[in-house]
Amino acid sequence: MGKERRIRGKGKPVEGLDDIIQEFLVESHENLDQLDRDLVSLEEQPQSRELVSRIFRTIHTIKGTSGFLAFTNLESVTHAGESLLSRLRDGTQPVTADTISTLLAMVDSVRSLLASIEESGGEGEIGIDAVVSMINRQMEPGDATAAAATSAPRKRAPAKKRAPKAAATPAPAEPDADRYEGRRPVGELLVEQGGAQSGDVATALQRQIEGDERRLGTILIDEGKTSPGAVSEALQAQGKRSIADSAIRVDVDLLDSLMNLVGELVLVRNQLMRSSAEAHDPALSRTTQRLNLITSELQEGIMKTRMQPIDQIWSKLPRVVRDLSQAFGKQIRLAMEGKETELDRSLLEAVKDPLTHLVRNAVDHGIEGPDERVAAGKDAQGTLTLRAYHEGGHVTVEVADDGSGIDVDRIAQAGIDRGLVTAAQVAQMSPREIMMLVFQPGFSTAKTVTNVSGRGVGMDVVKTNIERIGGAVDVESERGVGTTWRLTIPLTLAIIQALTVECAGERYVIPQVAVHELVYVDGRSTRIEYASGAPVYRLRGKLLPLVRLDQTLGLPSDGQDENVYMLVLQADGRRFGMVVDRVLNTEEVVVKALNARFKDIGLYAGATILGDGKVALILDVASLARRSKLATTTAERTRSAATDEVAAGGTPAQRLLVTGVGERRVAIPLDTVTRLEEFERSRIEHAGSRAVVQYREEILPLVRLADLLGAMPGEQGDTVPVVVYSERGRSAGLMVDKIVDIVEESATVRKDLHEDGFAGTAVIQQRVTELLDVRRAILAADPNFYAGTVDAHLVEA
Amino acid sequence: MPTRQYATFEVAGQLFGVEVEAVQEVLSFHEYTAVPLSSPAVGGLFNLRGQVIAAVDLRVQLGLPRQSLSGPVMNVILRGDDEPVSLLVDRIGEVIDLEDSEFEPPPETLTGPTRELVLSTVKLEGRLMLAVDVAQAVDTARVAA
Repeated sequence: MGKERRIRGKGKPVEGLDDIIQEFLVESHENLDQLDRDLVSLEEQPQSRELVSRIFRTIHTIKGTSGFLAFTNLESVTHAGESLLSRLRDGTQPVTADTISTLLAMVDSVRSLLASIEESGGEGEIGIDAVVSMINRQMEPGDATAAAATSAPRKRAPAKKRAPKAAATPAPAEPDADRYEGRRPVGELLVEQGGAQSGDVATALQRQIEGDERRLGTILIDEGKTSPGAVSEALQAQGKRSIADSAIRVDVDLLDSLMNLVGELVLVRNQLMRSSAEAHDPALSRTTQRLNLITSELQEGIMKTRMQPIDQIWSKLPRVVRDLSQAFGKQIRLAMEGKETELDRSLLEAVKDPLTHLVRNAVDHGIEGPDERVAAGKDAQGTLTLRAYHEGGHVTVEVADDGSGIDVDRIAQAGIDRGLVTAAQVAQMSPREIMMLVFQPGFSTAKTVTNVSGRGVGMDVVKTNIERIGGAVDVESERGVGTTWRLTIPLTLAIIQALTVECAGERYVIPQVAVHELVYVDGRSTRIEYASGAPVYRLRGKLLPLVRLDQTLGLPSDGQDENVYMLVLQADGRRFGMVVDRVLNTEEVVVKALNARFKDIGLYAGATILGDGKVALILDVASLARRSKLATTTAERTRSAATDEVAAGGTPAQRLLVTGVGERRVAIPLDTVTRLEEFERSRIEHAGSRAVVQYREEILPLVRLADLLGAMPGEQGDTVPVVVYSERGRSAGLMVDKIVDIVEESATVRKDLHEDGFAGTAVIQQRVTELLDVRRAILAADPNFYAGTVDAHLVEA
Repeated sequence: MPTRQYATFEVAGQLFGVEVEAVQEVLSFHEYTAVPLSSPAVGGLFNLRGQVIAAVDLRVQLGLPRQSLSGPVMNVILRGDDEPVSLLVDRIGEVIDLEDSEFEPPPETLTGPTRELVLSTVKLEGRLMLAVDVAQAVDTARVAA
């Protein structure tokens, strides 16, 4: 939901009514979304009395309030709708697709009336006659749905007369609609759900009045008037409603300002922690420790207030899918998984349009018509699945259909026709790379241009919008089986996971999402080369263009090629390496907007305040790539992006992090690695026999791989590289002597070496490399790592 | 006679003043983060109680060489339109009450970058104060990057 709506109070008859109207509007908007959902569900379950009753109550409430506020058109429309609904509820008339369409049209009409009230304070010029007569036509006696179109105009008058009558004679089970926000009596719910007769409930109530101390449900069950199942269902329904009592509406601006304050508190806490560590005062450090805990919890709590379930934006989609599939004559079932997955509200807003576009596209182009499906041996009804889930600090949202899949040849041809790629390039591209062409601006393969999609705008906009919020877009498709569009979205915009680097003596922050790999360039085994002056790096056999951050920023550059770090970055479909002096750490940073005067520079996505209180600039990786004039053609860009997707996707090749431990090489599966850190040796402390380091305000247990593997430790520098492994909120670090490289390896593992701590050996880059048994190594660092993870998880969550 | 309060400060030996209402606070700060590729008039960014503030180097705005940011520098923090912005100055002076009659247009002999920043001249006992046009003073786009 957006900010609370305010309306202009001009021409209001009574002072103080504004608040009531505003409340009414906010509430009604929410109710309308629920109505859309309920109506679409009702179409699927026409027998559900609970749904009809809920829809009825919502309309009844809007009608009641609009009558009170003298919005007569609104009252008439809802009144007519209520009449039709009461017939559905009483079973006088069956639920058909036409009835649902009519009721949806009524909801739309109510929506535009509310919009007008919100805009101008009055109902304006919005006509309601068409909708009212449409509803009345539905209430014709006999075969209303079939005869409606032709016979309606003639019979409109009598129908109108019938409408009020229907409402005037409420069914016995008519709930007290005005009370629905509070807890409704179990008896009422039982009757409504068909679990008990109203007469029996009345008798049972009478007994309670007469002194029977049993609960109502118990009386009914004992007397065999209802079943325990029905009672528990009613109690559940009662519980659901009571949420309204325990929730309050809070202004979003207030939440935003709380969020800012907590951000500041976090910084102060960080600064205090630092000073307290230097002060060596036990009392002070205990107090700071407590402050630390409370601050973290507070931060988490405030973050949660800004989180909303993705259902917030999904809830509009059943209606979209229904209307569109009707328009295209398709049969589509919409399945939703992970409705409760939460996202920051600002992100939800940003994801809404791209998601709607993907859904429209799937209905329009993805899922075939019933005949085509049957001919292909599929169910006539297609399935569109929305899926949302958390994964590695991100939320993944998928839109999957079981349609015909993407025709790669057609995409390739369209790409050539539009000059996006050449035929020669296409010949070199994998199907996956070709599919990624659909995200190019100006790309459309629609056979016919429809008003839904296929105007060549869309997929590129989806991509741009998602990338703007630090997310990524991906597509997977198999001919005849279906297509899955995948959006990867950060959890929040306000706090991001970021990598801090040092360049020319200043620190810069890079969003972690853009960083694919980190390579230490020692000038010997890993080195920067020059292609006619342009720096490049050989990354797994491919040349990666390099930019130097100092040069890009116009800072004094020493042109050092040794003992520097290279970050493999990806943004805007471009992949490039960025050379920096040092990589400091990764941490969560609070993003602060930068003043407009810096917008023109374009290189900065914002600023943040580091742990020591100093301001650091957050780099905008996409414009960094543009600024560095990475002169890649569109096709090359797509290719590099697509190649990467292939690498990350289903290929069996495993990515390994190769480390040096003494003279030996030890490989660790990259998917188990959370981060690579470099700790100063002096920071490593000992708790009992175990080594630990303070890391992101937690104690990180460490294990020296050299000890574990019985290897001779190598040279001891001032810092020690640590491979951080995290699982379910717990982390442990593996100390190695150096990070050598990241390789992609599908080499067969030969498990002939029998030594503790190893899963086997392989030949990587012409060297015998041992594969680490990560679980074993982690247990050596923290014997309790895997124990009680469930509890730890709960605490963390 | 209506009076106005001015907060005064010194840059390169010259006394300047801005209306007190425009000033949020005055403080000395020593850690600035440079913003590469921004206008030379931007001295840097600093952290004011969790807020990132841009400091405008008034010396550069006056056509002088940049202020050295190696030690503590005084900031006159102005309430901006939507967020505060700071002016880097040499020294903070007093807050003074000025009568309207004390204001005179800047002398015609005053030219160059300073002229654009100055609204009027004020005759104080023993010295002159230049009233600064706040909007001009914080406009870092005046000086080409």
